Amino acid sequence: MSLLEIKDLSVEFSARENTVKAVSHVFFKVREGETLGLIGESGSGKSVIGLALLRLLPANANVSGTVLFQGQDLFSLRPSELRKIRGKRISLMPQNPAGALNPVLKNRLQIEEVFEERGIDKKEGMKKSLRLMKKLLLRDPEKLCDLYPHQLSGGMRQRLIACMSLSFEPELMIADEPTKGLDPEAKEGAVELFTKIKNDYGKTMLLITHDLDLALEVCDRIAVMYAGEIVELDKASKVLNAPSHPYTKGLVRAQPRNGLVPLSGQSPSRISLPEGCFFHERCRYSNIECFRKHPEMKNHNGGWIRCHFQSLQ
Amino acid sequence: MSLPILAVNELAMSFGTLEVFRSVSFSVARGETLGLFGKSGSGKTTIGKCIVGLERPTGGEIRVQGANILNMGKKEFRKLRPKIQIIFQHPETSLDPRMKAFENLIEPLKLHSGLKQDALLKWGEELAELTGLRPEHLARYPIQLSGGEIQRIVLARIMALSPDFIVADEPTSMLDVSVQAQILRLMQKLQRETGVSYLLISHDLEVLRKVCHRIAYLDNGTITSIENIKRDVKR
Ligand SMILES: Nc1ncnc2c1ncn2[C@@H]1O[C@H](COP(=O)(O)OP(=O)(O)O)[C@@H](O)[C@H]1O
Ligand code: SF4
Ligand SMILES: [Mg+2]
Repeated sequence: MSLLEIKDLSVEFSARENTVKAVSHVFFKVREGETLGLIGESGSGKSVIGLALLRLLPANANVSGTVLFQGQDLFSLRPSELRKIRGKRISLMPQNPAGALNPVLKNRLQIEEVFEERGIDKKEGMKKSLRLMKKLLLRDPEKLCDLYPHQLSGGMRQRLIACMSLSFEPELMIADEPTKGLDPEAKEGAVELFTKIKNDYGKTMLLITHDLDLALEVCDRIAVMYAGEIVELDKASKVLNAPSHPYTKGLVRAQPRNGLVPLSGQSPSRISLPEGCFFHERCRYSNIECFRKHPEMKNHNGGWIRCHFQSLQ
Repeated sequence: MSLPILAVNELAMSFGTLEVFRSVSFSVARGETLGLFGKSGSGKTTIGKCIVGLERPTGGEIRVQGANILNMGKKEFRKLRPKIQIIFQHPETSLDPRMKAFENLIEPLKLHSGLKQDALLKWGEELAELTGLRPEHLARYPIQLSGGEIQRIVLARIMALSPDFIVADEPTSMLDVSVQAQILRLMQKLQRETGVSYLLISHDLEVLRKVCHRIAYLDNGTITSIENIKRDVKR
């Protein structure tokens, strides 16, 4: 069974006279024990999806669609029911781990505070966290607890947050850009960390990232986002080693090792999206049909692709 | 042979008893990109800051076209200053959040060029075009721009001063792969068109190998080797 199922999710933000289309008609399922990656350039709508399914978006967000978590519709839950899920059964590792920690509190207090907030015995919670820290490659966790967040490297901070999230034994973990700005060593550490969370703890994860190497290493399947839509969804190795959608091809070619070839132009304004395919202004394969008609998601070789030409090679 | 645009000789830096680096030496020719590779904490950013005068090293010399900036008179240094620029990993820190992108872009021109309003606007527009910015971006405040757009504004702003040398400190490490490729290719284009030289600081070797002419390796407080990448410097 799918642990998480998203159906026709759209998010718009109203800002004065304009409407920003952040996410359009997104659907996907995450199976129990699976890691699904959401990739795509910044602004493509990845974070908004993560926030939307936990109902953490600001008041000017207009959300439609359905999110089922173990068959339960998250959008129709009462706030008290939602609180039982948020941070406990579904945990979110935020995009900016530095911002997730209070700079003036020693790490031990941070951890205790989180348990307190969620109504869990501090001592019990702390014990669990320490045990996790040892397992998740943090040496000398006791000493680490007596430091302030800024005394930890980016990689260490991330692990600490992972331990805090995992100590609630969530059924689903959402991690948003866990490797952004990290140096290569810490990035490798992150690959190791998420592989461990996945294999040793069997966690189901939604991994939001633009780090293609991390995505390839850790994810089972990958959804590629462009301008608020999913344009390709398939097995991770297929998407990144033999991409079908022209945008995914462009992403892969932009990696330094694949030539550092830039895509021409920029993603479209989300206030007035172009007619036809959202990618047509930048697409090497576009033709007349692409200007006229917006492509629908179609089955393609066992995966999904949103392009008029499914047989592109 | 003409003088290198920048030569760093036996540069040393300590904070109190902590030695960050010692005897760091390298030079950069006109139109060349020298990569500076090292682990985080190895002192790359400090070297960059010394070059643009934001830090004062504890030893050594920094020569810009032969003249040592460390024992230069204030007046002389002030004249040189606009020619040696730096861009950071978090470019938004170099922009004024209260000014729209276009005003941010032309601000240094206002200060240094003495141009009249008309000429100023025209040059600003040319720079925006050169760096791939659209009019809609120019009308926004920094907070309303993406990381890649901000990095373009910062580049345009710096190019306004016709610099000879730019220290680029991890300019793309916060950007997406696709935007990173755009910005690095843009920097190469600007180099071809203006002959500007770069010190490109990065902890990503794949990136450095792709765009640098040579790469200096900083390890254990000193430059351990300089690698030649086969790529001609266009002068
Ligand atoms: N609070 C908000 N108000 C208006 N627009 C927003 C808000 N939050 C996000 N957006 C817009 O929604 C789109 C998707 O953003 P986001 O999900 O953060 O992208 P990603 O995580 O893929 O980088 C962007 O165009 C962004 O500018
Ligand atoms: S629909 Fe057309 S423009 Fe869009 S990605 Fe496919 S080929 Fe390119
Ligand atoms: Mg995001």
